[in-house]
Formats: sequence, C-alpha cells, structure tokens
Amino acid sequence: MAVGYTIAEKILGRTTAAGTPMPAGSEVEVKPDYVLGYDFPGYLDLIFKQIKEEFGIEQIAEPDRFALFIDHMVPATTPDEEELHIVTRAWCKANGVRLHEREGIGHQVAAEAGYGAPGAFVVHFDGHVSQLGAFGALAIGIQTQLLEAFVRERINFTVPETTKVNLIGALEPGVMARDVFHHLVRVLGPSACRFQVLELGGPALTAISLEGRQTITGLAMFTGALTAICNPDQIAVDYMRERAPTSFEPVSSDSDANYAAVHEINLNGLAPTVVLPPNPAGVAELANHTGLEVQSGYLGSCASGRLEDLRAAATILKGRRVAQEFQLHIVPTSQAIMAAAAKEGILATLIEAGAFVTSSSCDYCYGRIATMAKGQRAVSTGTLNVRGRMGSPDSEIYLCNAAAVAASAIEGRIADPRPYFVAAEK
Amino acid sequence: MSLGVLHGRVAYIFADADFDVDQIIGVENIRLTDPDALAACAMRHFDPDFADLVQPGDIIVGGENFGYGHPHFAPMIGLRRLGISAVAANSFATGYWREEIAEGFPQIACPGITGLVARWDSVEVDWDSAEIRNCTTGDALPITPYSKAEIGMLRTGGLIPYLRKRLGVT
Repeated sequence: MAVGYTIAEKILGRTTAAGTPMPAGSEVEVKPDYVLGYDFPGYLDLIFKQIKEEFGIEQIAEPDRFALFIDHMVPATTPDEEELHIVTRAWCKANGVRLHEREGIGHQVAAEAGYGAPGAFVVHFDGHVSQLGAFGALAIGIQTQLLEAFVRERINFTVPETTKVNLIGALEPGVMARDVFHHLVRVLGPSACRFQVLELGGPALTAISLEGRQTITGLAMFTGALTAICNPDQIAVDYMRERAPTSFEPVSSDSDANYAAVHEINLNGLAPTVVLPPNPAGVAELANHTGLEVQSGYLGSCASGRLEDLRAAATILKGRRVAQEFQLHIVPTSQAIMAAAAKEGILATLIEAGAFVTSSSCDYCYGRIATMAKGQRAVSTGTLNVRGRMGSPDSEIYLCNAAAVAASAIEGRIADPRPYFVAAEK
Repeated sequence: MSLGVLHGRVAYIFADADFDVDQIIGVENIRLTDPDALAACAMRHFDPDFADLVQPGDIIVGGENFGYGHPHFAPMIGLRRLGISAVAANSFATGYWREEIAEGFPQIACPGITGLVARWDSVEVDWDSAEIRNCTTGDALPITPYSKAEIGMLRTGGLIPYLRKRLGVT
C-alpha cells in the first residue's frame, strides 16, 4: 500500500485550508496561486459581466493573484475587436490586475513572467495552460469554472488521479518533442488520462529542453488529461528563480506515490509523426504521407514557435527557398523569443528563405488570419486539426513538428525533415 | 432537493468512441448562438426527421469518451431546444463533461449503456438510486457517482446558480 503522494496531490493539498497533501478522489476547496485568462468574445468579457451582475462584485479580491492577456485578435481587425481590448484594459486598470498585452501567446508569457513556478497551482479557462507543467506547476484549464476563481478565494475541485509516463531512449535529429507527444497519444490513446493528471518522467525527459517539455505538457488534453506535469529539475527551478514574482517551494512526487497507471515509452527509433485531419488522435508516420501537396505551413502557436523550433526550421531553410506559391507563416511564441531569434540571426535566415514572419499572436492557430480556403491543406505546429480550425470546413490541417513544416515548405508537399539534418551535418 | 427520476426514450445512439459533438450541427454552424437556429440544423445529417420524432424527456446515448475533440456549446444548445433532457454515455471526454455539467445539463456516466439500450427504448434515469433502467427490457445499470459540486450544479441549474446559492447571493 503506497503511502506517498503525487506532485499533483501535494500541490492541490497545499492550497487547501488544511495545507496538507490530499489523496486522489478528495473533494477539496483549493486556492489558485494564479488565475489567468485572455480576452476573447464570450470569455473574459462574460466573466467581467457575470461577477458584477450575478455576484455584485465591483472589485476583485487579491488582484496580485490574477494576470490577464491580450494575445487573441492581435492586432485587431474590426472596431468591435478593439472595443473588447479596451474593456479588458479598463477592467485590469480598475482592478489593479496585471495585463500582458502584445507580449506573446499568454501561456508562454505566463512562463516568462514566472507564474508557473515549481509547486504553483494555476488556473485558466484554456487547457493549453497545462504547459506550465513543464516547470513543475500544476496548471489546469478549468473552462467556465474560471468564474468561480473570480468570485471566491477557493474553488471546488476533485483531486485527480495521475497516470505516470516514463520516457526512455533518445530522439534522432529531425524528431522533436512534438513527435514525443503525438507518440504518447498513439500509444496511450485519446482517453487514457481522462480526468487525470499526466505526469512525465524518466531519463529521456531530462534530455528534452524546457521548451520541448512545454510542447508536450501543453497538449495534454488530447490524452484526455486535465493537465500534465513534470517533476521540476534544476533547469526548471533555475528558470523560474529568475522570474517568479514570489518565492516558491518545489515539490515532487514521492517514490511510493499511488498512480492510476504507469507506462514506459521508448523514444529510440521514433520517426517524425503527422496527425491526420480531422482527428487530434489521428497519429500516423509522417513518412507514409510524404508527397501530399500542401499550400501553406504554420510554425507557431503555444505548442511550438519557441527558439528550438525556430532553430530547427532555420537549419533546414538556410540557403534554400520556400516553394513558389507556398505560404509559410512563422510566428514566434512571444516577443522575447522573437527578439532572441533576431539576435541569433535566425529570423534573417527564415525571412531570406521566403518565410512570412510576424510578431506573436494566437490568431494563426484558429484561422482568424492566414485563413485557408476550401480544398487547401496546411502543415502546422498549431494545437488542433479539427475541421474548419484554420478556415474553411473543407480545408485540412496536418499537424507535425517544426522541422517538418520547414521541409514541407521547401517542397510544397509533406516532407520528411530528417534528410535535411543529415545534409546540414555534412 | 433531488434530481428525481427522468422518464424518456433513447432518441439516438452515437456508439462510436471519441465522438465529436460538433458534428451534431456541422462545423459550418458552430458559430450560431440562437437556440432555434441550432435546433433547426441539429441532427440533420444523422436523421432528417429527428426534430419531428423527439419528445421532451428523451435522452441521447453515447459510447466511450463521448465529446472528444474541441467541443463547443452550440450542439447541446440545439439538442436541448429540441427537448433532449440528458446525455448518457459509457464514458465522457473531460472537457465536454465539465462544460455541460457547468451548464446544468445532465450528463450521465453509465459504463455499458450502449449495450443496455436500443434506439427508441423507454428509459428511466433514477438519480436517487443511481441507475438507468431500460423500461422496454427491464434491465438496469448503475450511474457513476457525481462529486458534490457536480450534483450541486445539476440541482441548481448550472455553475452560476450553484455559486450564487453557495455564496448566499440573493
């Protein structure tokens, strides 16, 4: 009988009134360390309205626990969109809440601002906030329940069970963290972690960068998980020590913690993957789909677009050209990442190859801009490939890693990035 | 206050695992918000006569991991307008379940439900004894228990009335 606790049980337990670890299944009231959200019609604007009209709250308590983002509809294309941003700015000012506008995609900016410190409990309505799990934070997209975090100090939550995945082996050039996540979905299936926390560990995880861990944890929802988390190592602690607004205490799972399931996944021999439309669980070998004509490529989103993704693309695109008529959109995940990429010379390489590189925005990921027409296909590092996600319901999205997007952009067809890395080493 | 017993029929069975509920109205209609407009396009691809056949109290039945993908509220707004009173499935996708419970729309986790019922069977959902009974065959299966917060949201009609009650907002 295990007596230890998982990292999720410890973090949630700490934020209860009792302040002690709570076993999975406990129905508890927990106090988030950070409450995050972005403005988008029907999201923050609705919460602002509801807290006032339904709960009579004029001023939220403990504004330091809140941080909001303007990362969608950036830049605005209609007066209504800009009006929405104006409302958000005014609300933040009136409530003394931090607003991160035009700094990048919020989940990445949350990492840069230190909201995802090891041991922190973070809520957002958007599930991709799970990527703060890369740093040992428990970050959960609680959807409309976010309202509760605006009107009460503590929120109802049932402590989830945890499925543990130990990664072993090593990745080959051209195979990236994105493929690791796709492989997880392929092995575990789309419902293996329903209502659970996906905890990642094992020697191969140590070799994956923080950026790569953000990619893997940020997509956790497609295994059915509420979130994903890595036990923080020194790299994660060091990253957050420089950034976290408050002190923090890293916690990790006990060796005798109780898990719903434990899996070992070997990364040796893993080849680039593609997720076929229109199913987020439609994982296949990229090599079996090369040659399919594609008209556009998107390298960006909260699941990609970080430095290692940009570097991989630059390695492939250096001295080459994007295929004629192919639209390659490269959107660094944050302004900080874009500045770093500029200093490294990566952006010049990408631009000279014919990529269309823009400041950070969520808008490419859901087709608000770079919208696809009927019959078009994209290779994409975006989060999702369901019908209509990037434009017409009759367009298609093939999800793959950043290197595969770059290789496909050169060929105008789905392409395997591995030969380009072999060529780069020669 | 109890949720009591719901009497109805099985109006449709989505037996496929990982069913994407957006298909109920079609992706092209996902931005609609008007319940009547959503009711008008709901289920057209599955049964063009659905709107004429369905009655208040009827339920939808789903397979494993019902609601997987990137579900929106629109499909269930349309189904509710047509009279659908609950969704029972073998199991539910996390995000879909949480959102519809927060809407106060009864979702019932009942492993094996797809084997218990056929389309148009009469069923009773008994929340007090936590089981679904097939009145046509006499068979029954247990309902997976809810958390206190979930049952509170279903009883009060959703997240907002539940929170208002808990916080004593009048």
